[in-house]
Amino acid sequence: MPPKIETRFGRIRVERRVGYGRLYSISMTLLSLALAFLVVALILTSLGLDPIKAFQVIFGVFTKPSLLLESIKQSIPICLAALGLGIAFKMNFWNIGAEGQIYMGMIASTGIVLLHEYYGFFYEWMVMPLMFLTSFLLGGAWCLIPGALKARLGVNEILPTLMLNYVAILIVDFLVHGPWRDPKGYGFPLSIPFPEYAKLNIVLGDPAYTGLLLSILGAAAAFFLLEYTRPGFEIKVVGQSPAVARYAGIHVRSTILLGSFLAGGLAGIGGLSIVSGIIGRLRPGASPGYGYTAIIVAALAGLNPWVIVAVSIFFGGLITAGGALQMSMGIPKAAAQMIQAVIFLMILVGEFIKRYKVTIERPRVDEE
Amino acid sequence: MEKLVELRGIVKRFPGVVANDRVDFELRRGEVHALLGENGAGKTTLMNILYGLYKPDEGEIYVRGRRVELKSPRDAISLGIGMVHQNFRLVESHTVLENIILGLGEDKLRIDFEKHRRRIMELAERYGWRIDPMVRIWQLSAGEKQQVELLKILYRGAEILILDEPTSVLTVQETRRLFEALRRMAREGKGIIFITHKLNEVMEVSDRVTVMRKGRVVITKETRETTKAELANYMIGRPIVFGQKKVSAKLGSIVLKVIDLKVLGDRGYPAINGVSLEVRRGEILGIAGVSGNGQVELAEAIAGLRRPLAGRILLNGVDVTGMDAGKMIELGVAYIPPEGNKLGIVPGFRVVDNLFLKAYRYPPYSNNLLLNWGKMLEKAQELIEEFGIVTPSALSRTSSLSGGNIQRLILARELSGIVGGIPRLIVAAYPTKGLDIGATEFVHDLLLRYKEMGSGIIFISEDLEELLLLSDKIAVISGGRIRGVLAREEADAEKIGLLMSEAVIQAG
Repeated sequence: MPPKIETRFGRIRVERRVGYGRLYSISMTLLSLALAFLVVALILTSLGLDPIKAFQVIFGVFTKPSLLLESIKQSIPICLAALGLGIAFKMNFWNIGAEGQIYMGMIASTGIVLLHEYYGFFYEWMVMPLMFLTSFLLGGAWCLIPGALKARLGVNEILPTLMLNYVAILIVDFLVHGPWRDPKGYGFPLSIPFPEYAKLNIVLGDPAYTGLLLSILGAAAAFFLLEYTRPGFEIKVVGQSPAVARYAGIHVRSTILLGSFLAGGLAGIGGLSIVSGIIGRLRPGASPGYGYTAIIVAALAGLNPWVIVAVSIFFGGLITAGGALQMSMGIPKAAAQMIQAVIFLMILVGEFIKRYKVTIERPRVDEE
Repeated sequence: MEKLVELRGIVKRFPGVVANDRVDFELRRGEVHALLGENGAGKTTLMNILYGLYKPDEGEIYVRGRRVELKSPRDAISLGIGMVHQNFRLVESHTVLENIILGLGEDKLRIDFEKHRRRIMELAERYGWRIDPMVRIWQLSAGEKQQVELLKILYRGAEILILDEPTSVLTVQETRRLFEALRRMAREGKGIIFITHKLNEVMEVSDRVTVMRKGRVVITKETRETTKAELANYMIGRPIVFGQKKVSAKLGSIVLKVIDLKVLGDRGYPAINGVSLEVRRGEILGIAGVSGNGQVELAEAIAGLRRPLAGRILLNGVDVTGMDAGKMIELGVAYIPPEGNKLGIVPGFRVVDNLFLKAYRYPPYSNNLLLNWGKMLEKAQELIEEFGIVTPSALSRTSSLSGGNIQRLILARELSGIVGGIPRLIVAAYPTKGLDIGATEFVHDLLLRYKEMGSGIIFISEDLEELLLLSDKIAVISGGRIRGVLAREEADAEKIGLLMSEAVIQAG
């Protein structure tokens, strides 16, 4: 039965749409975007700012090469984390902890760099591969904690994943205030800057290009996993119905463990891309919420890995635009986040209207 | 005879189908009117229109000669129309009384429970029902719950009663009691519409019968002027064969031996309490009983989905007690689960995904890591053909298939031997439930074919007719115990019903 809500104005009826075309779908999304920008324009106007100029700045981000590169750079951690979330969400594993897994990835990467710099443990060429490996492992392990709790004890994953974010953030705080503080850093809570061999600039010497390659490789890996491998198929079955998965002879527990580990691992690499691509060192608040933005990105992209890459760049652009607006028009950074939020909200409502038909039935005037 | 209800030229379209195509129907005062048809013939749609759940696209509704427009069940109820749905709509943790007066709106601030209790008792007595209004719903049997549903609508003064497949959850004895009550209501001048696809029931209880096929009314007739064979012909558009289907298969060695099995149910108490049974190659062992008496738990234990508490399960003489579902699949145990559209498939997946829901991990379809979709698609095409699954393609979404086709898909996956050849043991739990006659026949024939090929088969059903039709032996289950095993020659509906109810008396 479709839900019905009685109000004094009439009855609101929500019905699932049976089928809709691609053209309808795309035009609804564009309409949502247009509405979002309209709302943003209204808010900017009310603040006494020129919305047209603001939009020029925002769109400039995607047309000016230097800003576009910056946007791509910003999109890398979002994209990698969202790819992991795509896997987790397919498994019906509501991982809210990409942020924490990103921080664990940063810790692993930085740890490797510091080991080499302070103690010279490795050959220089080994550092980068080791950073990748350990950030994947540590990010994965961080997500494996709630994964194991769910698989073994049936604990819902939402709260553990969320709360482990704060733990990870505080561990980073502890490290950069304490043992990992740069001795030459005038007491600021920062690690030493990463040396060149530990930076993501293999392709054309710019982290944006290297990162874009990383995003695309990640998307390809996630896509391949879900479509062409046995574990990927099992992850999807478990996500649709654990009861059916059991019936099919799938080991539900080990599937949850594997899926959560892979999801956390990808977010961990996202952490690597921050310290070794965007910032070049570890500091508190190194991720301004990329892991949360990734949730939005994964949802908007419909969990499709290729679409995630594109949507991530769009959101990377919005973050860059925030900075640009601040500099050129004096709009506070929070306003950029507000623009993001409005766009997200509008697209969400648009998706809902795409899938459901909402009608309001007027109450009858008595016919007798 | 006064016409209580008249439907004229009702048309209801859903995307892609015309569920009702210019349907005319009438209900007279004092009659039991059977509405007969296969699943998807449009019976329930038509009745949902009469009950105000759907709005017809075209057509007119007359109640007691006056044209009406029904916008919601509330309108229907106020016109004295009541409907008992296939699945009960009662609040399990509330009492009978509370359920009956829920939404009545008669009392304003204070509810006079005593007055309602007295009136409900009187009403129940009139139909020979013994129901304590203060008992909670979850304590009642399916038959009693149905009586509460009927009381609920009678208490609102309904005289046009719609019953949607009311016997599907009842034992033989309960069915008989229901029919007596319905006859009594008809004598009192009520009109009863009885939706069913069972021919026996039409002949037994109805005065007139309307047959629907593919959204249209084929014919309306006095029941005593027609026969089962004629009705079947109208219903499916071709004659069907009644009687026992004989397939000679030599009984072979023992495939499955269950010894003193105890299995916990979902609520944590034993659902199977000391069951022993044996199935041979080429044998169909029917399990008769009202559902919810441990059948599913027994099936799941054998399929490796539920770990037994005690007892042993031997497959071809090898102890397989406590092995998981994956192992049992590899050992050649096919399991057709109850409610296949929920438990047997992933609705959002493509047809090919569901066909290979078990085989995807075995060669040649996988090398344990990568999946070979080419091979799977190729085989899926064959299976679709062989099992007559009607689908636009192997890549279509499974949820768009009809119930009968979903069951064919499950049968194709379980029986075709894409994992480990012809199944040694087939556990079929309610494989024909909710299917129409055509699809039911298909399932029956398929099971008989596998019997011939030497599979051992456990066939769980609530329908005595089909149990008698297919089984070599029938075990009667009740309260988690086997109450008796009858050979086909000595089994009949009466004896089976008696074994079921004896157990109830013992337990009660």
